[in-house]
Amino acid sequence: MATQENNDDRIALLQGTLDLLILKTLVLGPCHGQGVARLIQRQSEDVFLVDHGSLYVALQRLEDKRWISAKWGVSENNRKARFYSLTPKGRAQLVEKASEWRRLTRAMGLILDSNSGMQGEEA
Amino acid sequence: MFRRRRSAEDFAEEIKAHLELEAADLEGEGLNRDEARRMARCEFGNVGAAQEHFYLKDRWVGLDRLLRNVRFGMRSLRQSPGFAVTAILTLALGIGANTAVFSVMNAVLLRSLPVYDPDRLVYLRTSNPPRGTGTIDSNKTFSYPVYAALRKQSSGLSPVMAFVPLSGSKVAVRYGAQPEEAEGDMVSGTFFSGLGVSLPLGRGFSEEDETRHAPLAVLSYNYWTRRFVRNPEVLGKTLYVNGVAMTIVGVAAEGFEGVEGGGSTDFWIPLQSRRELNAWGNPPDEGKLYDANPTWWCLQMIGRLAPGVTRAQAVAQMQPVFQRSAYVGLGSPMEGEKPPVLSLADAKSFPGYDQQYGNPLRMLMAMVGLVLLIAMANVVMLLMARNAARQREFSLRQALGAGRGELLRQLLTEGLILVTAGGVLAWGFAEMATRVLGRWAQIETSLAPDSTVLLFTLAVLAIAGILFGLAPLRVALAGGAELALKTSAATSNTNAGKSRAGRVIVALQMALCVVLLVGGGLLVRTMRNLENIPLGIRVDGLVVFGVKPNIPSIPEGVAFYRNLMDKLRVLPGVESVTVSEERLGSGWSDNSDMRVDGKLPEVANGSSRTVRSNVVGPEFFGTLGVPVLAGRDFSNSDTATSPHVGIINEQFAQRFLPNQNPLGHTIGTEDGHYTMTIVGVVKDHKYRSIDEEPIPMAWYMYAQIPMVGPMHVEMRVKGEPMAILPSARKVVQELDPNLPLIRPMTQREQFDTTISQHVLFARLAEFFGFLAVALVATGLYGMLAYRVSMRTAEIGVRMAVGARRGQVVWMILKDSLLLTMVGVVMGVPLAMLVGRALASSLYGVKPLDSLSYLLAVAGVAVVAVVASAVPAGRAASVDPMRALRTE
Repeated sequence: MATQENNDDRIALLQGTLDLLILKTLVLGPCHGQGVARLIQRQSEDVFLVDHGSLYVALQRLEDKRWISAKWGVSENNRKARFYSLTPKGRAQLVEKASEWRRLTRAMGLILDSNSGMQGEEA
Repeated sequence: MFRRRRSAEDFAEEIKAHLELEAADLEGEGLNRDEARRMARCEFGNVGAAQEHFYLKDRWVGLDRLLRNVRFGMRSLRQSPGFAVTAILTLALGIGANTAVFSVMNAVLLRSLPVYDPDRLVYLRTSNPPRGTGTIDSNKTFSYPVYAALRKQSSGLSPVMAFVPLSGSKVAVRYGAQPEEAEGDMVSGTFFSGLGVSLPLGRGFSEEDETRHAPLAVLSYNYWTRRFVRNPEVLGKTLYVNGVAMTIVGVAAEGFEGVEGGGSTDFWIPLQSRRELNAWGNPPDEGKLYDANPTWWCLQMIGRLAPGVTRAQAVAQMQPVFQRSAYVGLGSPMEGEKPPVLSLADAKSFPGYDQQYGNPLRMLMAMVGLVLLIAMANVVMLLMARNAARQREFSLRQALGAGRGELLRQLLTEGLILVTAGGVLAWGFAEMATRVLGRWAQIETSLAPDSTVLLFTLAVLAIAGILFGLAPLRVALAGGAELALKTSAATSNTNAGKSRAGRVIVALQMALCVVLLVGGGLLVRTMRNLENIPLGIRVDGLVVFGVKPNIPSIPEGVAFYRNLMDKLRVLPGVESVTVSEERLGSGWSDNSDMRVDGKLPEVANGSSRTVRSNVVGPEFFGTLGVPVLAGRDFSNSDTATSPHVGIINEQFAQRFLPNQNPLGHTIGTEDGHYTMTIVGVVKDHKYRSIDEEPIPMAWYMYAQIPMVGPMHVEMRVKGEPMAILPSARKVVQELDPNLPLIRPMTQREQFDTTISQHVLFARLAEFFGFLAVALVATGLYGMLAYRVSMRTAEIGVRMAVGARRGQVVWMILKDSLLLTMVGVVMGVPLAMLVGRALASSLYGVKPLDSLSYLLAVAGVAVVAVVASAVPAGRAASVDPMRALRTE
């Protein structure tokens, strides 16, 4: 078991990603937790296997930040479910986080794809 | 923190909904129902964890963690009950003693009178009462004409209130059938309204009650509780005061016990004008009561500054009125006589208390403060030792990811548990101790701890709590996470730094212990000296009590006492009986100048002409066992019609009649109205108190003077003196069924009250000294035992390579003797400072009394040796093989 601080760091990183994914999913319209999980899983072609426990904690966190709002409703197959929808604040966050993420992936890509120089020096 | 918008149930509900949706989806994908449910649950992961996460989220996490820490702390304390009990008891004693002394100090020195706006209240004081007047206290008491004049001025003090006791001690009261004693004051009609004392039951007095001397009484809350069990029916009932019927009209507010320090007044009546109720219980002087007698300064006064008036303004405004009224009935001032000057004194709290108890109390407070320091140091040391032993646990927790903050919180919590438990015990201990202190010091004012005391105690506890959390932290963290990986107990536990801290604490404790022991020693020797002062009186077998008969005329009064003495003398076991106006050892004395051979005697520069006098009965000196050096004692044959006789002491003879035979000379009162012939000279003896110096004294025969009032009966009996009281009481009540025996006690007890404060102070100092020694001993023992246990392996090695047991014992002993030496070197100079501060409380001992110092040092050394003997013995019995094998 790692120390608590390390634990927190890791959760933070994971949370950042998960939050972004949740916000993106909700752009399409209100959805309940199980639906969000399914959507992420399908859209990522099963690369992301969402831990359902963490998902609900994340949903609660986003709700506390007022990026999403929630209310109880009835699902497509007539079951009681809690539906989440994006708030304007959440929409703004999504734009910001998405552009951040793109800059990050681009930078990562630049470094990871140009490894010839290093090879050359070593050789 | 508590902005919970969603319940845990709601969250659980959502998860349940999720699981159902998921199961439905999976069923749709072809799984059977049970399979789908299992799968949904599987995929979800840990439901409990998610719920717990939600539960902890935005709940007051701190509180939750605190509760967990408390539970953990309790468990870990329970694992070392010896440590916990020692620490808690040490704290309880240290903090309890401080709370007790502080609460006495608070009640006596800090707390205000329980009246409205006490800051505006002032006592009236004077200097130089006019010549030819008699006073109760030359600074505090005034004549009735002065009161009458000052109360009429209304711009400076409004109102001016007078109060005067009905007796120097207690008066006879009767409610129902049984005669008793109680303390009562006569007061002006403005007393309750002017002070702003509320009356929860009934009413106070009015100015009209004062002018018509209404027979009314107000009870103190305390007396109402004690005597009348708070019966509201007492209103309208009759209380007989010296046989005079008074109607009870009210009960004063709780906590109000009069405006004089030290005593607690039981009831108040309006100023009266009748023989039975003269001020201070005195018989009328030349037939005049206090209110008709301008030369008797007996009233005390207190006033309230009028709004917007400063003290200086009030004094300036009243001074001329005062100086005029001071000479009412006296004619004009004699030439060269200093005029009396009025001044105002703070009445916020009781005057005289500070003078009387201030210094001893401050010393005691310092003393218990030191004890507390020692106690806290002990607990810190215990904690450090314990947590050093727990280093492994802490290292492991750090290795497992616990942060420093987490450990600090844990340690603070453990400190908090100790402090809380110690604090609760301390409060109980303090309540008890305060009661005992109050009784010993004969302070009748309520000493019950109030909110100030509570605050003080809480502050001490808070400091202790923080200290106990922080002090062990360093030791706890010293090992760091990597210690968990080490396996050897020997290498992991020897750490020079922490034992150095322990040694410094022990040395400091020893120093404080030396200081306390020296202080205690000086005071105890003072007490012994005071107790062994020869009184010049044979007190064994002497018992004394007061009687206050209703005396209609002087011959009847003389006859009453003659009759009483005759009846008491024939009781079985009684050797002799006499009476005196002033009780010996009560602190009272009647002081005046006296004429010798018709004129005021010449005295050498600087020495005083003051003579103390007392009015006594026949066989006075024989009964007290005071040797008559020349001439004779008073006898029954000295009557009103026989020549007037007086007796003087050695001092009188030496100062006013040097180098001549005093017998046959005449002495008399200052005004020349009364003269008598000296018929005896007696040896000097103690009169007012045990620690007084002898001064000139003269005695009058009661049957010959024109005044007979209440008297004190002295009886010398065989065997237990107090055993005579029931039969004496029967004799008194046969003469007058209304008369109680006033303050009956042995003469020794009466004298002891005059040093009771010194004795109390010394006893407490002794007690705290011993407490300190006990604490230092346990501290030292704890530290040494801990060090030995840490060094078991090392000692084993030493013994394995040939160290003898004696060497091991010496190694340990040397250590503590070294600490003792350091402690003594630091403690002695400190003790000298304290000794100097104590100087005014000492009697017959010098502040640098070498014996006290020697005993203190020896005491500390003995403690050091005894406390180290056990661990040293244990060290010597270490089995080298076992010690090494445990590695």
